[in-house]
Amino acid sequence: MAVLKKKITNRIRILRALVVVLLAIYALNLFSMQILRKQLFTSEAERISLQSTRIPAPRGEIYDRTGRVVLAGNIEAYSVYITPSELPATKRESVILLLSKLLNISAEDIESKLPTGRLTSYGRVAVAKNASLSAISEIAAHIDEFPGVSWTSQPLRDYADLRSLSNTIGYVGSITRDEYKLFYNKGYTLEDLTGKAGIELIYEDLLKGKDGWIAKAVDVHGKDISRNKARIEAPEPGKRLILSIDSNIQKIAEDALGKRQGSVVVLKPATGEILAMATYPYYDSRVFMSDNAGQEYLKLLNDPQKPMLNRAYQSSYPPASTFKTVLSTAILEEGFISPDKTIYCSGEINYGGRSWSCWIKKPGHGAVDLKNALAQSCDIYYWTVGRDYIGVENIVSYAQDYGYGKLTGIDLPGENPGLLPTPTWKEEKYNDSWTPGDTMNLSIGQGYMLASPLQVANMMAMIVNGGVIYKPHVLKEIRDPGTGALINEVQPEVLQKSSISEKTFETMRSLLRGVIVYGTARAPISTKAVQIAGKTGTGEIGLKDRWHSWFASFGPYDAPAKDQIVVVTMIEASNPWEWWGPYAANVIYQAIYAGQDAKTAAATVGVKLDGIAVGGRRE
Amino acid sequence: MNLQSLRRLFGNIDYYLLIATILLCAIGIAAIYSSGVDAEGRLVSNEYVKQLVWFVIGFFLLAGAALFDFSRFKDTSWIFFAIAIALLVLTRVAGRVVNGARAWIGIGGFGIQPAEFAKIATVLMLGRYLDSAEYDSSFKKLVMTGLILSLPLMLILIQPDFGSALVFFPAALIMLTLADVDFRYILFGVISILGIFLFLSLPLYAANHYSQDNILNVIIAKTDILVLIFVIILFIAVIAGVGWLKFKKRYYYWLSYAFAILAFSIAGAFAAHKLLKPYQIERLLVFIDPSIDPRGSGWNILQSITAIGSGGFWGKGYLQGSHSHARYIPQQSTDFIFSIIAEEFGFFGCLVLFALYAIIFIRCFVLIETSKDRFSQYIVGGILGIFAFHFMINVGMAMGIMPVTGIPLYFISYGGSAMWSSLISIGILTGISARRYSA
Repeated sequence: MAVLKKKITNRIRILRALVVVLLAIYALNLFSMQILRKQLFTSEAERISLQSTRIPAPRGEIYDRTGRVVLAGNIEAYSVYITPSELPATKRESVILLLSKLLNISAEDIESKLPTGRLTSYGRVAVAKNASLSAISEIAAHIDEFPGVSWTSQPLRDYADLRSLSNTIGYVGSITRDEYKLFYNKGYTLEDLTGKAGIELIYEDLLKGKDGWIAKAVDVHGKDISRNKARIEAPEPGKRLILSIDSNIQKIAEDALGKRQGSVVVLKPATGEILAMATYPYYDSRVFMSDNAGQEYLKLLNDPQKPMLNRAYQSSYPPASTFKTVLSTAILEEGFISPDKTIYCSGEINYGGRSWSCWIKKPGHGAVDLKNALAQSCDIYYWTVGRDYIGVENIVSYAQDYGYGKLTGIDLPGENPGLLPTPTWKEEKYNDSWTPGDTMNLSIGQGYMLASPLQVANMMAMIVNGGVIYKPHVLKEIRDPGTGALINEVQPEVLQKSSISEKTFETMRSLLRGVIVYGTARAPISTKAVQIAGKTGTGEIGLKDRWHSWFASFGPYDAPAKDQIVVVTMIEASNPWEWWGPYAANVIYQAIYAGQDAKTAAATVGVKLDGIAVGGRRE
Repeated sequence: MNLQSLRRLFGNIDYYLLIATILLCAIGIAAIYSSGVDAEGRLVSNEYVKQLVWFVIGFFLLAGAALFDFSRFKDTSWIFFAIAIALLVLTRVAGRVVNGARAWIGIGGFGIQPAEFAKIATVLMLGRYLDSAEYDSSFKKLVMTGLILSLPLMLILIQPDFGSALVFFPAALIMLTLADVDFRYILFGVISILGIFLFLSLPLYAANHYSQDNILNVIIAKTDILVLIFVIILFIAVIAGVGWLKFKKRYYYWLSYAFAILAFSIAGAFAAHKLLKPYQIERLLVFIDPSIDPRGSGWNILQSITAIGSGGFWGKGYLQGSHSHARYIPQQSTDFIFSIIAEEFGFFGCLVLFALYAIIFIRCFVLIETSKDRFSQYIVGGILGIFAFHFMINVGMAMGIMPVTGIPLYFISYGGSAMWSSLISIGILTGISARRYSA
């Protein structure tokens, strides 16, 4: 038998007494509720229920840098809901059919939104978010035929015709189950929209705002029986965002790019502000606001041309000859070879048991020094100096100075960091050692090397700024949604600072000017509106008669850095060969500095926007 | 185990306990069936079938637990504890998020809530320790108990599941009471924990009910002032402690005691504030004061109370609970199962339910007084603590006199893990009771 100390026995008594008291209190409380106050609760149960209605907060508006062009605003739209528990099974089919006709959505779509199986709450399900007023009037007039159907008017995202800005601004969509779990504590409901891409996604917290509520007591028929006034909590609209995008330049860039797969970046090197970011093909943010957004999304997702990509920062390509800028900087800074020393280009050299031909083929460029090699984009010069004078470690080091192989940290989601290959990287990735041939490929921006157009733009920015790259950004200001008062202004943030001397950059600027004056870009850059400097690039991707066409540039040449802009154009090899990179840039500069639209500008400089014929490789 | 001992085992089974358990589970399944019927009388849920299946499987688990002689193999307790901890860690890493908490682990549609089983495993582990520590000081017992509890407690708190985490305290409290720990220590622990909750929630409560810059929040926002207050309180506690040692006056002892609790609570609250994420503290606040969330939990309580009160003496009759069937109450089959029973079976039905629970509680007390070893006493005490706490919180919540925590009413609420862990607990009790007369 158990031996319990007297003390413990006493304690057990106390515990037992506690449990008995607990049961007694609960029983008494039940007695009070169920016997003494039964009437009160019975009438309450028959009468009352509390209903709270959400007043959705309007999402923050998005403007271009002028603060005058609305890129994303809101319109009042009608959402139609079904409360499944109020929809009798016998009428379910007919109601869904009627709704599908009125709202122009397929019956299957409506059916798929309704929960199957157990109906755990009196919640309602949104079946349409963008119903017309006439549809709502029709429902209201015949409400008897629509049991369980209700509607609200709520602000809906309204995008301007954004064209390729869609890929920067993004779009909103219904909150997903996973997002809901994540955002639950931020007060999101299942009826909410959240940013899914671009600015809408990155600045969700600023744009969202805070929903308001009206709480009122209703009887079983839904009649308002509040004794006092309904409790109202006013919604707080989301913040107004001013982007750094200049609608005018954006349009010029898009028109200059035209229907060519590729992208254009225009940025302000002195601050890192993106003035324009054109990409093609693009999607239309507005399709995500229609009621069959799901199908549209799938269509876009499965499109082999990948219109959801923003090619300016989400794609990377071999930077090709634009990369010769990096080697030129290295030569000027450290004198790996005297800039005046010439190397003879016969159009072809043999190395490692294979023949390497310069883009110009035989008889080649002849004897070229640095200045001419960059202007003429001589491959043989850079192969030789890269392999024999500079070496891969130094090339990599200078490329890192320019920000290659790293994220630029732009305030947009899904950035592509590109790839800066190194001997260690190759060892790890391919378990193979770095060869001098790899160095030669890297020297002309080919081989494993990959960079996004935005990274190439940053390289030009560093040259303009004389050693600093400011973090590229699209957001310029945060403003109060009501008064428009400035809340926060995005300040330039140094992304990359180089110890390369100002003198080197100064020489680089003049060498890049040479590319236009007496080099490869002499013919295509014909604008008289502004003097520019830049570098062409023609990327080999294994096709015989098509190449990636790059043009990385800045201007006005010799203006103070704060007045200059950087323009990078990148036309993919998938397009018919037109060498369009420099031509597009030519049109863009002409239009911006002559105050013309792209079409007039093209006419002024004598090209057709919809295509020109260029025979073979010109760089 | 030979045939004779098996026969003796069956002869000594506590049939009161078993019959009460089976009746409670039957009531539960009936209530779950009822909760699956909508206002128009259609059955829209098959939860009751699942519950029935879980009950049948759970009964085998009960039998298994009864056949395993825990007190003879008490040295294996740590294995169960280790498995429970491993499952909790696994849940943290690979668990599924349901209702905002990462508390589930499983494959496909099948899953368990390890926290439910961790309760039993922790009781076993703690029982084993207290059994081996008969001659340790009260202080050491308290510290060791704290250490053993802290591991599962922390893992469950980060899920986050405050309700389940709380259950450990009454279990440990009863076990410590049985282990002859000085009441002053127990009191110290209880008040400190309440203090931590108080200091953690007070500033939030103030911010919610008054303006953001009320005096309390202003003070709390300044860490150096907080540290100063803490140092002063600690200083008083130490000075009073020294005074007590020197003058042996009771007055000094209790002064030191009170201020030590205060210092401990403030430090604990500060640490918890740093460790917990803001949203976790917010949930804690809703737990303490449901009225700040009138559309959420507050609404549920109002509906639950209305359903219970409208039941009357005899109830509205099975499947006739109009308020419950109108689905005003979410989690009708789990958290708020009591309200549907109270609405349909009335005061009379509730008294029957209470009586069945009372039988289980009383059998636990009888077992504590008659079981043959201390280890068994501790285990029974711990299980009693878990059962009584679940009952108190869940029924109290449905009646609106306890805060809303999602902890189930054992045997009744829909849910496989709770069903199994409660039936395993009953199995352990049955086993202990059947063996109490054997040598």
